[in-house]
Amino acid sequence: MNLSWRLIRAAFSSLWAFRSYALLMMIGLIIGISSLTVIHQIGQGTRQRVLSMMESMGFGADAFFVSGGGGRLSVRRGMKRTMTITPADAEAISRLDGVARVVPHKNVPRTRVSAGGKHTSTRVRGAPPTWAAARRWAVTNGRFLSMEDEQRRARVAVLGTTVVRELFEGKDPLGRRMRIGRTPFTVVGVLASKGSSSWHDRDDLVLIPLATAMMRMSRDDKLSGMRTNLEDPGRLEEIKQEVTELLRRNHKLGPGVPDDFLIITPEELTQLITRQSRALVAMLSFISVVSLFVSGVVIMNIMLVAVSERSYEIGVRRAVGARRRDIMFQVLIESLAVSAAGGLCGLALGLILSSLATLLLDVPTAFSLAGFVWALSFSCLVGLLFGLAPARKAAHLDPVEALR
Amino acid sequence: MIQLHNITKTYHRGKVPTPVLLGIDLRVEAGEFLSIMGPSGSGKSTLLHILGLLDRPSGGSYRLDGEEVASLSDDDLARLRNAKLGFVFQSFHLLPRATALANVQLPFTYAGHFPPDVEERARKALARVGLEHRLHHRPGELSGGECQRVAIARALVNDPELILADEPTGNLDQRSSLEVMSILQGLNNEGRTILLVTHDNAVGCMAHRVLRLIYGRVRSDEKVAEPTQALQQLAALPPPGEQA
Repeated sequence: MNLSWRLIRAAFSSLWAFRSYALLMMIGLIIGISSLTVIHQIGQGTRQRVLSMMESMGFGADAFFVSGGGGRLSVRRGMKRTMTITPADAEAISRLDGVARVVPHKNVPRTRVSAGGKHTSTRVRGAPPTWAAARRWAVTNGRFLSMEDEQRRARVAVLGTTVVRELFEGKDPLGRRMRIGRTPFTVVGVLASKGSSSWHDRDDLVLIPLATAMMRMSRDDKLSGMRTNLEDPGRLEEIKQEVTELLRRNHKLGPGVPDDFLIITPEELTQLITRQSRALVAMLSFISVVSLFVSGVVIMNIMLVAVSERSYEIGVRRAVGARRRDIMFQVLIESLAVSAAGGLCGLALGLILSSLATLLLDVPTAFSLAGFVWALSFSCLVGLLFGLAPARKAAHLDPVEALR
Repeated sequence: MIQLHNITKTYHRGKVPTPVLLGIDLRVEAGEFLSIMGPSGSGKSTLLHILGLLDRPSGGSYRLDGEEVASLSDDDLARLRNAKLGFVFQSFHLLPRATALANVQLPFTYAGHFPPDVEERARKALARVGLEHRLHHRPGELSGGECQRVAIARALVNDPELILADEPTGNLDQRSSLEVMSILQGLNNEGRTILLVTHDNAVGCMAHRVLRLIYGRVRSDEKVAEPTQALQQLAALPPPGEQA
């Protein structure tokens, strides 16, 4: 047992002796660290959600979306956009130099689908035969929509697994009849399950041929949007500019008239989703840093009082041979231990709060080791910094005075 | 063992400096039992603190075992206190939340070397003061006399050459006082040097030599022809049950 170990033990036993003080000192830290943890978890979760969303869309750095309607990008669900993109636009873009592939789609508004007396509401989307390959989305049963379906405007559908479960109770739906709205369709394929996150079920989907969606299911001949893949990701900005010019020309938009379409790059999408949380994160971070500072001041003051109250203990320790630096070390260890314990409690509380947030409020959160280490070292820093003054005071007590 | 030459001490607390010791010369040989007496304000506690290396003199020379301690650093003084000195205070100064055993082990926390048989030595020290049955009691569960005996065990555990006691019987009843004094006399008989501050004549006369201070100066320094034996006095007391 070396000296520092003995001093650490001494520190912990006096902490235990003054545990009500210790608890008081920890409260501020617990609040500060737990809110920091929650913030970090939410930030991390949001990033992961964006990443997984983009991944599920097959949205790499070599692609962008063109969507109908102008204005600012927003992630609010169920948003309505004026449809302005025509199949001719898609055709023109696909002929641009550097564009590898254009995959348009047409969303049918959320619709009631039914089969054999069961019904549910789901997303119905018109998609061309190239859609599955572009999204790297496989068909596990039956086949995907074909070119022939497209030409015949066939009433055939490929179902996501959620819909299969809802309508057919998991039984093989191939060849079965179903209705989308009032129109009868035949099931020809089932998509592989992509899994669902708490906020978005990717398998809750019915795909029908694009032409069928355009001609039979809707009154306009506009596309909802299109995915544009490039041959060279490095030319993204350049081609985005060309597409803008092309669409403005085709839509006869004069100078000063805002775009009636929106080009969304992966970059912008990430920024958009993180931008929403950024203001919140900044505010919460500020609050928690302030509360950490306040808790540091509280720790300092309580320790200063404790040093005065325990002055005779310090005197005794000095009398039996403690050097100034031993006393200083002991007090520092005490404040460090309090702050580390407070940090750990705060971390635990933060983890609980963020799981509650996910569970009850559908806020994405994710655990990160970096956040864990960060929270702990931050609280230790607070303890060390604000323990310095009490430690110095204790170390410089005159033993004769202290023993009086 | 101890050589003081013209030790002075002046406190500078208020605006006017307060001289407390005005030049003390003292020589204490190893194995002596010296009591320092005097009215309050005579400087006897200050002198004990200086002798115990808790306080520094304002002037003069203090040699402990031939070593001039006035020039030593704080850390060296702490090391000397740990290795050579044991303290007993009027109000015991035990750590309230630690057991008797843990209190007695306290000096080892700050010893440069840490003997493996710490607990054994603490037990022995407690046995030496007759508290082998109180090892795991906390100060609040002990009587004043028992507390002071724990404090003596603590002063003893490092096997110091010199034990300094500041009014050790000041807070105790007659029986406890005699018990404490009999332990100190026993320690002295084993060859340990003991310096005792008291204002109680009966206690002072249990030492071999009495140094009387007044207003910061030595008034008298006399051998006690026949020191009172605390053990005999203790035996002469009626049994505890019959005391009113």
